[in-house]
Amino acid sequence: MGDDYPTLFRSEQMSLMQFLIPTEVAHDTVAELGELGNVQFKDLNPAVNPFQRSFVGEIRRTEEMTRRVRFFESQIQKEKDVVPIRPLYDSAPLLTVGPSAAHNIDELDVTLAEHEKRLVQMNDSYKTLSERTRELVEARHVLRETAVFFEKAETQHTDIRTSFDDSSAPLLQHDDREQQYSSTVQFDLEFIAGTIDRTRISTFERVLWRVLRGNLYMNHTDITEPFVDPATGTETRKNVFIIFAHGDALLAKIRKVAESMGATLYPIDANADKRSDSLREVTARLEDLETVLYNTGLNRRSKLLKIGENLARWQDVVRKEKAIYETMNLFNFDVRRKTLVAEGWVPTRDLTMIQLALRHATEASGTSVVPILHELRTSKTPPTFTRTNKFTEGFQTIMDAYGIATYQEVNPGLFAIVTFPFLFAVMFGDIGHGLIIFFAALYMIYQEKKWARQELDEILGQFFYGRYIILLMGTFSVYTGLMYNDIFSKSLHIWHSGWDFLEPGSNGVSYAVSNGHMYPFGVDPAWHGADNGLVFTNSYKMKMSIVLGVIHMTFALCLQLPNHIKFKRPLDIYANFIPQMIFLQSIFGYLVVCILYKWSIDWSTRDTEPPSLLNMLIAMLLSPGKVDANAQLYPGQSFIQVVLLLLAVVCVPWMLCMKPYFQWKEIQMIQGQGYVGLSHHNGGHRESTDEVLEGEEEGNGRVIVEEMEEEHEQHDFSEVVIHQIIHTIEFCLGCISHTASYLRLWALSLAHAQLSEVLWSMTIEKFLGMSGIFGTIILAIVVVFWFSATVFILCIMEGLSAFLHALRLHWVEANSKHYQGEGYLFTPLSFAKLDEKE
Amino acid sequence: MASVIPVIFILVVVLGLMACGFLFVPKGPNQTTIRTAIMLTFASCYLMWMVTYMAQLHPLISSS
Repeated sequence: MGDDYPTLFRSEQMSLMQFLIPTEVAHDTVAELGELGNVQFKDLNPAVNPFQRSFVGEIRRTEEMTRRVRFFESQIQKEKDVVPIRPLYDSAPLLTVGPSAAHNIDELDVTLAEHEKRLVQMNDSYKTLSERTRELVEARHVLRETAVFFEKAETQHTDIRTSFDDSSAPLLQHDDREQQYSSTVQFDLEFIAGTIDRTRISTFERVLWRVLRGNLYMNHTDITEPFVDPATGTETRKNVFIIFAHGDALLAKIRKVAESMGATLYPIDANADKRSDSLREVTARLEDLETVLYNTGLNRRSKLLKIGENLARWQDVVRKEKAIYETMNLFNFDVRRKTLVAEGWVPTRDLTMIQLALRHATEASGTSVVPILHELRTSKTPPTFTRTNKFTEGFQTIMDAYGIATYQEVNPGLFAIVTFPFLFAVMFGDIGHGLIIFFAALYMIYQEKKWARQELDEILGQFFYGRYIILLMGTFSVYTGLMYNDIFSKSLHIWHSGWDFLEPGSNGVSYAVSNGHMYPFGVDPAWHGADNGLVFTNSYKMKMSIVLGVIHMTFALCLQLPNHIKFKRPLDIYANFIPQMIFLQSIFGYLVVCILYKWSIDWSTRDTEPPSLLNMLIAMLLSPGKVDANAQLYPGQSFIQVVLLLLAVVCVPWMLCMKPYFQWKEIQMIQGQGYVGLSHHNGGHRESTDEVLEGEEEGNGRVIVEEMEEEHEQHDFSEVVIHQIIHTIEFCLGCISHTASYLRLWALSLAHAQLSEVLWSMTIEKFLGMSGIFGTIILAIVVVFWFSATVFILCIMEGLSAFLHALRLHWVEANSKHYQGEGYLFTPLSFAKLDEKE
Repeated sequence: MASVIPVIFILVVVLGLMACGFLFVPKGPNQTTIRTAIMLTFASCYLMWMVTYMAQLHPLISSS
């Protein structure tokens, strides 16, 4: 379609360009080209280890910065209250090109290091303080619980004291003891107090009992609140225990056992006053600690807020720098180490833009040496680049998912813009459902700008990406719904029906009589709700599927022609395209013609019975030449069918043999002329379209020669024959199976219609008769249920199913007729796409 | 009377519309896309209508 504009019909023409960039400008040039997003750089150092490349140092530095930025991001995300991150489009840009660039990057490096250090410090101190707090809280619990023990002990102690009031004891002893007892409100036993994990307390008790042979008294209570570990958030429950025993040896044993079981021991004083002092002290220290913790938290948060302001900016800069240096690692230094040599694929159309960008980069950096641009001639296959806009992007993506088109072959994505929604709609046809998905797509398109900036979750993101596809799907569904005359399982009665219903007969069945009208647009509403409505609809839809299928396949087959013409393969036209077309048309094209012919005859005026087309086709293949005179469609049928069958049979050896024969002759000719093996269409010449009048560097020659080694397909004759056999079998068998495969158009539309009808008759229809306020309320509830079931089951589930099947029809049935799909995608260095990759 | 004539008539109309679509789409970056889309839409919508119409021209069974 001319060179004026890019079209979707074929992928763009690409050229291999060689850039000669002076080292000082290199960074800025690559930055500029990255912003443009039009160059896919080739790796000129494929044999070099990534650790030995030229710019490893810079990459390491950017990696450090990336790590720090990621650390900040994770810290911000861990905060319970959301820290706002200023979005990129709102932040002031950081200059990475130009004379101040290096200084900016260094400054950024230092800033990031500093922030990280401080943040890490704050985190550490926070952790230590939290630990301390926890210990103090435990100590407080221990103090409180032991106070309870001792109070209990005291009451018991007074009982024991009275028991010691024995007359047999000497008076002096008694007094001594009295004194002892009055000074200390305590037993003679010593004790150990502490906390231990609740799960271990029973083991602890048992071990102690065994070790000390029962010479202890142990008491323990639960601490009601669990301790939350700030780092991991896990909760641990602890118990306070107090163990009374006497003797240093026993106490030492208890201490050892306690340590081994992971209990924490706290020094508790026997004296009640001293205990209350400790309690007060602990409480005071706790309060101090909590204040300090709170302040640290505030400080940290303010720091994070400040970081949040700049985070998006830093992420962007760091990502770009990394990409720039990675790209620069692909370049080659020339002999004198003053210039970098780069090679990349560029769409030919964009060459002027690239030149402008290069000039812009040099101006921005302040030097006067402009990078040079060369075009290289090569026979390597360029990448496939299809220029899409937001509308065509979705369609192109779903067709690319099957395989990337070979360089400059006909792009099926162009036709899929209409055929895909159309085939979807044939399976989905319902005016109401079509309207629902149409409006849903319209809403998404209305919110386009806002949603494009947000990060949508996976499922919603997928639907948003395909919003234009869904829009077209909805439009076509409304049309096919009009054709099937189906709106939420009811039919519209816009024009005069073609049938008049008679009075019901004795068996309650009313028959319809044709009144000569034709319902002009769509299926006659008289069929809706009829007992034999399905018989008619099935026949109609099945035949329609076959008609649409054969036409779609023929269309896909014809797409081979532009490919053969463009790539100058006239042999393929005669050896592949023509026999394939004849084969397809002589059997299935004939079937379609018969279908249309049979429909166009008024069988009531003919004396023959209308023949079954399926039986006719089978008979044509199995017993050619024999057509029953009572069951023939048209006079002369047997003769024509024999001719068509012979045509189809002839096509098979035609496809099998013609192309291998001609290729064999070509090989003979080449060998006869004395050429051996590899290519004779090697390009030693290189057309240099110098953009700037500078001399060529010597280094280029070396680079170019390496380039010219192509992967050459060995013209091995056996391979050609095998390939052709596979191709022929695949096509012939495929014809039959693919034609039958199109019957899924019928199957899914039947399922959809039936589901819709069942949903209506099971829900709303049952409740329509109710009257009064109660009836209205029930009806409202049922309507809500019906609508949500319609959206979820019929629109979303059936929609996805029909989407999948329509896609399969495109991928398998249509693409196998013409698509090669052996290309690789054009992946330019593009800063905009870096964002998407994350 | 139901006959095949409307089918042929509409076919001519649709072919005319497709030709218009081909000729009158303004030049621009999206010319091929719009042309293809318009022509394919007309073709497929006509096909479906034609099939539906012809299926009901001379019905072999009647509704009951």
